[in-house]
Amino acid sequence: MESKKLKNEPVLLPLYCKKIGLAILLMGLIPAIIVKLMHLALEPAPKEMFKLLTSNTFLLGLLMIAWSRDKIEDEMTIFIRLKSMAWTFTWTVLYVITRPVIDLIFNDPVENMNSQEVVMSMLFVYLIMYFFQKRGR
Amino acid sequence: MKNNIKAERAKLDITQQQLADKVGVSRQTINSIEAERYIPSTVLSLKIAAVFQKTVNEIFTLENDD
Repeated sequence: MESKKLKNEPVLLPLYCKKIGLAILLMGLIPAIIVKLMHLALEPAPKEMFKLLTSNTFLLGLLMIAWSRDKIEDEMTIFIRLKSMAWTFTWTVLYVITRPVIDLIFNDPVENMNSQEVVMSMLFVYLIMYFFQKRGR
Repeated sequence: MKNNIKAERAKLDITQQQLADKVGVSRQTINSIEAERYIPSTVLSLKIAAVFQKTVNEIFTLENDD
């Protein structure tokens, strides 16, 4: 019996996009590590631009990895994706609520949360939850 | 929901992987269904029943708490 594409399957990127995503992620990560390790002093304006570029590249890579199909994408992996998204949503709400409290406890100045930081944590939680639920099938 | 996929597989002498290939899912999905950790969709239930040449009701049985 030939397996047909499920009609209620979410729109996902093809499998090869996972590798492209990983390459993009490394393109954002490696320059950031090099600058950090070599203690390169950048001027404030280029530093902000560099930070923005590397973190955005990193985020794009993470998104592509998260949204690419698996080798075998079936209804159970779709169910696991859904559960991972539910966990991610819960995590984000808890993170936004607790982060200022944690800052207060550790006497750090309560700063406005960076949207990239929140989105990055969301993508990490999604990927971790997806990975562990898939392994635990 | 209970199922007797394992018994039916044994009758046909096919592995989880072979059944998975026939219905187009992963072996892990078949394993989860057999272990009653995952309830398959109607489409997948029909495909599984078709492999065993039985009706869905003969493979899957509702329990009182369903």
